[in-house]
Amino acid sequence: MGTLTETLDTLPHWLHQQALEHGTDVALRHKHLGVWQVRTWRQLADEVLRLASVLQARGFSVGATLTIISRPTPQAIVAALAAQWLGGAASLFDPLDGVAGQVELLGELQPDFVLAEGYEELSRLGAAQVAPRVVIYLDKRGLSGSVAFDQALDYATLIEAKALDERVPLAHAQQTAFVFYRRGPQAIEQQRISHAELLQHGQQLVQREGLRRQEEALAARGFASGDQARYLLAPWLIAGFRLNFPENLATRDRDRRELGPTLVAGTRETYERLHSYVLERLPAPGDGARRLVDWALAARSGPLRRFIGQWLVRRPLRDVLGFSRIHAPLLVGDALKPETQAFFDTLGINVRQWEGAAHWEVPTISLASTTHEPDERQSQRAWKEATT
Amino acid sequence: MTRTAATQLLELDNISLSFKGVKAITDISFSVAAGEICALIGPNGAGKSSLLNIISGVYQPQRGRIRFDNRERRGMRAHDVAVRGVARTFQNIALFKGMSVLDNVLTGRNLKRRSSWIEQALRIGRAGREDDSQREAAERVIEFLHLQPWRDAWVGTLPYGLQKRVELARALAAEPRLLLLDEPMAGMNAEEKQLMSRFIVDINRELGTTVVLIEHDIGVVMDISDHVVVLDYGRKIGDGAPDVVRQNPEVISAYLGTRH
Repeated sequence: MGTLTETLDTLPHWLHQQALEHGTDVALRHKHLGVWQVRTWRQLADEVLRLASVLQARGFSVGATLTIISRPTPQAIVAALAAQWLGGAASLFDPLDGVAGQVELLGELQPDFVLAEGYEELSRLGAAQVAPRVVIYLDKRGLSGSVAFDQALDYATLIEAKALDERVPLAHAQQTAFVFYRRGPQAIEQQRISHAELLQHGQQLVQREGLRRQEEALAARGFASGDQARYLLAPWLIAGFRLNFPENLATRDRDRRELGPTLVAGTRETYERLHSYVLERLPAPGDGARRLVDWALAARSGPLRRFIGQWLVRRPLRDVLGFSRIHAPLLVGDALKPETQAFFDTLGINVRQWEGAAHWEVPTISLASTTHEPDERQSQRAWKEATT
Repeated sequence: MTRTAATQLLELDNISLSFKGVKAITDISFSVAAGEICALIGPNGAGKSSLLNIISGVYQPQRGRIRFDNRERRGMRAHDVAVRGVARTFQNIALFKGMSVLDNVLTGRNLKRRSSWIEQALRIGRAGREDDSQREAAERVIEFLHLQPWRDAWVGTLPYGLQKRVELARALAAEPRLLLLDEPMAGMNAEEKQLMSRFIVDINRELGTTVVLIEHDIGVVMDISDHVVVLDYGRKIGDGAPDVVRQNPEVISAYLGTRH
């Protein structure tokens, strides 16, 4: 991997560092075909360099943006880091967001470089009448014989390529690492987060929560948001713990139980869904078993009740939720409803809110131009000025 | 690919079948090209399931010839037919309801095992080594049909539509060249039918598996089939592309009822 990076002021620099110092430690785990598949830090960095090589060969350069339309997957993380390695930014779109809104955004953005999960995500490009210079897909299902996407490139084939020769990231601290878009009341708004900002928030979280290499974090639904980048991706690269991806959205609860993560950075919806999940399965009010649960979870109780409640109710419930080992249950974004907060409190799970630091603004220049060449050249000039 | 130029995977020539003098199928001939989706349609009692049973080797026709992959099949039992690459699902779900989805799919891999039953019973020799590869193959099918959330669920506890999908998964696990589906969408709601249609098309296009299916939903048949064979009272009354069959007056009067 070359020599140790001197400055650790961007996400890819931290990746580089982790690969050099802890190359054989597990960086990512992803459940696939019923088995947890692993990528070590060295393998991850190598895959990032291979994809960066492919992107660079196809014209991706400093200041460019890679639009990623994918659920949380290791490949999406690799793609974001590859774009950032080359001094570019990643723009994340969650496929579960409304199709119409996403199509509208894509139509306005007219991205040049896109990584899409599969046929459905590619179809959104078609619907938005976008003709990107480079399109990469993760899942080829449904694409055989498709004329519309015959120029699209298969991720699995691409990363067979030779890795990038440039073994030091081209990114610098003030560059945008992630850019997010949403439809505001009047116009499309954007949120640009620099490497420096991400790392600052990431460091704060690592220190305040005492995050270590031994943490197991789960990235389930939340991925395509600035807060997830701040409070999950940046701490992961800084602290060097394991980031786990469920097999798919429908299996996330089972995978969480199997995994028992120590760190969860969820949204209000995440915790409220888990609360509802438990309520739906509790015996009906009035039932003997339900009375036992209510008795055990009573807010004010003596030592005996707490002891019995711990073994008969709290502990099993924490297991069911996959929170048996949790020590950093983080909430990003909106606060929990009082009853949900109280529920987790009674289980001894202290959900802590991290204020979302999102700053949305209406772009002053045309959205489409943010990923196009004139701006790339501007960005290259700015970068040269900043680094010389 | 035109039908005349296509390679025929399955050819039926003057097939007749009767049960104690009652003619179920009379002189039926048609062929199925490799890589196509062929639908058998017709009113109840037209002989569709009997024909599927003949193709899968459950019934032996009294007359006629069957060629599969350019080789004539004579008096072949269902097991031998399966060994040659034909798998099927049933009109009434035939799964092991007390077993998990994964275990049911693994039963579809039995023909792919090379170890003997003694090796398997004692977990010795090739049996242990095969387990990983068989599990992986079964998992690939589970992933293909989006069954991961129910991998460990008992089949008997699943809703009907999912059980149909598990049955399809078990058939697919055998890696068939020809997949026979007997009313794969029977009893499903519109959403489940749409999903199942998508899976059948994907199996055909992505895996290259030739499909012969019986289906009553004409909308689905016309949507996903490359070739339609229409039966009525045990005889073939139509054979061709969906648009051609749709215009056939005999088919319209016997089955479709109205001109579309």
